[in-house]
Amino acid sequence: MTRPEPLSSWDPITLEIFRNLFYSVAEEMGVTLCRTSFSPNIKERRDYSCAIFDAKGRMVAQGEHMPVHLGSMPTSVEAAIAAVDLEPGDVVMVNDPFRGGTHLPDITLVEGVFLDDGDEAEGGAGDEPVVDSASPRPAFFVANRAHHSDVGGMTPGSMPLATEIFQEGIRIPPVLLVKGGEIQRDILDLVLANVRTPVEREGDLTAQIASNRTGARRLLGLVERYGAEMVSEYMRHLQDYAERMTREAIRRIPDGEYRFEDAMDDDGQGNGPLPIIVRLTVDGEDATVDFTGTCDQAAGSVNANDAITLSATMYCFRVIVPFAVPSNWGTIQPLTVIAPEGSLVNANPPAAMAGGNVETSQRIVDVVLGALAQAMPDRIPAASYGTMSNLTIGGVDPRTGKPFAYYETIAGGMGARPWADGLDATHCHMTNSLNTPIEALEHAYPYRVRRYAVRRGTGGAGEYRGGDGIERELEMLGDATVTILSDRRVGRPYGLEGGEPGAPGANSVVDASGEPSALAGKDSREVKAGSVIRVHTPGGGGHGLA
Amino acid sequence: MSHLVGVDTGGTFTDVVLVEGDQVRIYKVPSTPDDPSLAVLEGLAGLLDDGALADARVIHGSTVATNALLERKGARVALVTTAGFEDVIEIGRQARREIYDLAVSKPEPLVPPQRRFGARERLDERGTVITALEEAEVERVARAVAASDAESVAICLLHSYANPAHEHALVRALEDSGFVTASYDVLPEFREYERTSTTAVNAFVGPVMSSYLGKLGERLDPGRVRIMASNGGVVSLDAASRLAVQTILSGPAGGAVGGFEIGRLAGHDHVITFDMGGTSTDVSLCAGELSRTSEAEIGGLPIRVPVIDIHTVGAGGGSIAYRDPGGSLRVGPESAGADPGPICYGRGGAGVTVTDANLFLGRLSPHHFLGGAQELESEGVSAAIERLSAELGLEAVELAEGVVRVANATMERAIRVISLERGFDPRDFTLICFGGAGGLHAVDLARSLGIPRVLVPAGAGTLSALGMLLADPIRDFSRSLLRPLDGFEADELEAVFDALEGLGRQELVAEGFAESSLRFERLADLRYSGQGFELAVSVGSTTDLEDPGPASASRADTLAADFHDAHEARYGYADRGRSVEVVTVRVRAIAVTDKPELTTAVSGDTDASAAVIGSHRLVHDGGRHDGALIDRDLLRPGHEFVGPAVVVEYSTTTLVPPGTACQIDTHLNLVLTP
Repeated sequence: MTRPEPLSSWDPITLEIFRNLFYSVAEEMGVTLCRTSFSPNIKERRDYSCAIFDAKGRMVAQGEHMPVHLGSMPTSVEAAIAAVDLEPGDVVMVNDPFRGGTHLPDITLVEGVFLDDGDEAEGGAGDEPVVDSASPRPAFFVANRAHHSDVGGMTPGSMPLATEIFQEGIRIPPVLLVKGGEIQRDILDLVLANVRTPVEREGDLTAQIASNRTGARRLLGLVERYGAEMVSEYMRHLQDYAERMTREAIRRIPDGEYRFEDAMDDDGQGNGPLPIIVRLTVDGEDATVDFTGTCDQAAGSVNANDAITLSATMYCFRVIVPFAVPSNWGTIQPLTVIAPEGSLVNANPPAAMAGGNVETSQRIVDVVLGALAQAMPDRIPAASYGTMSNLTIGGVDPRTGKPFAYYETIAGGMGARPWADGLDATHCHMTNSLNTPIEALEHAYPYRVRRYAVRRGTGGAGEYRGGDGIERELEMLGDATVTILSDRRVGRPYGLEGGEPGAPGANSVVDASGEPSALAGKDSREVKAGSVIRVHTPGGGGHGLA
Repeated sequence: MSHLVGVDTGGTFTDVVLVEGDQVRIYKVPSTPDDPSLAVLEGLAGLLDDGALADARVIHGSTVATNALLERKGARVALVTTAGFEDVIEIGRQARREIYDLAVSKPEPLVPPQRRFGARERLDERGTVITALEEAEVERVARAVAASDAESVAICLLHSYANPAHEHALVRALEDSGFVTASYDVLPEFREYERTSTTAVNAFVGPVMSSYLGKLGERLDPGRVRIMASNGGVVSLDAASRLAVQTILSGPAGGAVGGFEIGRLAGHDHVITFDMGGTSTDVSLCAGELSRTSEAEIGGLPIRVPVIDIHTVGAGGGSIAYRDPGGSLRVGPESAGADPGPICYGRGGAGVTVTDANLFLGRLSPHHFLGGAQELESEGVSAAIERLSAELGLEAVELAEGVVRVANATMERAIRVISLERGFDPRDFTLICFGGAGGLHAVDLARSLGIPRVLVPAGAGTLSALGMLLADPIRDFSRSLLRPLDGFEADELEAVFDALEGLGRQELVAEGFAESSLRFERLADLRYSGQGFELAVSVGSTTDLEDPGPASASRADTLAADFHDAHEARYGYADRGRSVEVVTVRVRAIAVTDKPELTTAVSGDTDASAAVIGSHRLVHDGGRHDGALIDRDLLRPGHEFVGPAVVVEYSTTTLVPPGTACQIDTHLNLVLTP
């Protein structure tokens, strides 16, 4: 038996142990964030991500949170490091999509982790990082991102049908929210003055700060136990490991060039369809994903930046790795993503971005998986529902007289797999947010859910059937502003190998007198108490001939 | 004098433990999965004659409900919901379990669409009727259910926790349809999916459990048999039939109670129980009391009744080691199970397991497995370990220790989740180790977590059955309120607690327990207004309440202060200016019963040499050692020795690593100091 490559610098046992350790640090950060936050988006829907980074700001591990944050968390850390020389106890806050963010509701907090003298870091509860001028550079970084229910802008919930980013809410370049362990009250007040629900925002930011503290404390605990050098080295080994695993998965894809095209229905401003085109080139263990030919950035709010496009692409390659590998810097290395500047998948300021993260990201997955399906027809499913059907509702709660802002996404049908039906009414690909219990919603917000059901028969037919979508109806108990940002209301999730496409979704409103009217895929309305909003989400595509 | 017997139905054996005076007798019979009552009755007959049996008090840990659920062999359930919400049970929380797995699946709902029936009615979040449930509608639903092929009925209407009138109207109309269960009576708490799931599980396993208990009741005095419940208490046959969902974690609960009580007898009430079996490991933390959770999940289905908080990870003696394509050594979650089992069982197992690695390292004696009934085969093990180590570029011994270390890392993480992540420092706890494989790993685990003491109970293999004998009858009652803490009138909260206590008193007195034996614990699930998760805060027990103390207004302040503290301990911060919300109030009603006195022996000589039956080569931390081979049955209270040593007994083996001291206490526990 021949021995494999020399393994002088790492051993497979310690590697596995550190894989577990780093992952559990990220997961524990998530537990703190999820359990103590206030936005339904964070606490119930789990729309957040937590990750740890090495001294260079390269991602080491991310909790299994939101896939859409895969490639975009590192961008935030990069931007934070570039903007601020982090010192102990400093926390950088950022949400600007053009300075390391994704869309404005996603606020990311980045903190440096500093070692004490001689690596004698303390791991006990409640320890604050100790200021030490001799070691001014962070040994590691921790970061978390959470989707806040409201960051200001044109409509409550901050997912408006805007035409420029200035309308979408407060834009935060990388700034210090916490300096030397002290919250910067002036910065916080500036943010809170620009949002509709400041008490909730402050609570969420506090939870985010606590989450990073948890991560920093646990990393210092690892340093205490294993020494800083070993922890740093295994961060690098784990990145190399993820790279090897991803390369191995790419090697199994037949070399060649694969093209696929699909489109967004429209941009909410009357323009569409908006084609997204990909050319995937597989060469040995490298892959190039080229979006040249994709339409120009849109007037409406469906623009993505390069970080989102990278996230969606990473996701597509992550799902073809047959083992649970950490999502980190190494995963990206075999991939070259070409996203033309000024296009829908890499927009320039001041483009409106709210829907890029939640809508366009799903379509990017559809095209990349569509290309991969040509290379590996027995492994890639048909298109899933392809939209998050973002529903935002805001106004003044007649029960309390206080303003409220609410945001939810509604799942749909999963695309059929080459070996199984698609799941019904389940979130797919770039999101995995949970629904908020109806009984919790009705306590917190002035509306009543009228119907929540599987939309039978909407999955595409095939040898394997696409999953069915969802029917959801909400009755307003007070006057409200309702905004729906959805897609696949015209275009349909594609089937593969002869399978039928899934049924498109549909939105409508029935006013208090019972008069129904259609809502567009992207629409915003002032509605009166007693109106019922009805959202029907798409089914998934079928696979194979029925 | 009547006898007290604990009977624990396990996958392989049914264990019977009889306490007679200060004597404990143990009897094992093979389980009879097709009709578990056969083994139960056979086991009882093995220890007691008919006369004694008729008189005995029997406490039974049953897996009937668990298995019915896991194997999906329950009743055909009809589900009645608020119209428009029939699919809540199917949609669940609309998320997938694995985000990067294209082959992800989700559990089939327990009730298929054709047996879900919507009733036109609606309550709001305060329980106010928005749409009345008309008599004609009740009749229509009852007819539709009757026309289906359902064997039992679950009823779960929106916001019923705030007002049960509609659910109870349906119960009355459906009573003739067989087993009927309303969500209000199972779990009057908000979150419709979880409540629906819990209620449907109850209707699914209830009829199976009823018929099983009926069979037992024919042979035993039903008034003298109790069933171990998942919350660590015991319940009557009637309650176990009506609320079978409460017995879903019967077996593991017995283990946790047993571990906790054994620890307490030995003078340690802060314990972490560690139960490592063939495919998985269960851990549970008790900081002076058993910890409970309302967030359990079985077979992918949420079950929100209070259960002992047991955290399970997929690492056990049978977990298989392999090299992944990135060159990392993985262990589990795939397991060789009992069949074929590890390579050393010689039944065709091919993958290197944790047990094989332990044998290779000399931590298991090949001649003393199951009391020597089965000889372990080392030859195949060495060859397989050589192969895997070559694949990974390691020495064989390095690989074998690596397999154990990786498995330990998984179990260590499980203990971190229940301790450090919840604000408890493992250095304040004793590790109580049971289950077949735990003794080989406990000391190393304790070392890496800073746990100062490991206790391996005598009869670790039958700890669950013993634990059942030490459990009190317990009933949990709860009600969701979802209101700001400062919005309660002076005595309002007291009144809710009093009402729940009244329910507990009524049930337990009806079962024949004296009023004077009852104890009540009050808990409130609190959160900052607007948060999504609650923390349970103790509001005091009967003893505290005898002194009424300050007026309720300040009682609310105390409660708020306790919550802030709990939040800080658990999550690292508190926001004392923020308003606090009462989500659910809970009362635990306990009938304190007499416990059997367990054997204590007088400590004698410290010299353990009489128990040494040989010597043994073993590897630990890269070093080779000559250790003593010690027969546990020959150890006596007071004996002391220092590792390296391997202690063998019928159902388990304990590794005493070099430098670790071991003492035998007066309960015959091994007490190890890592």
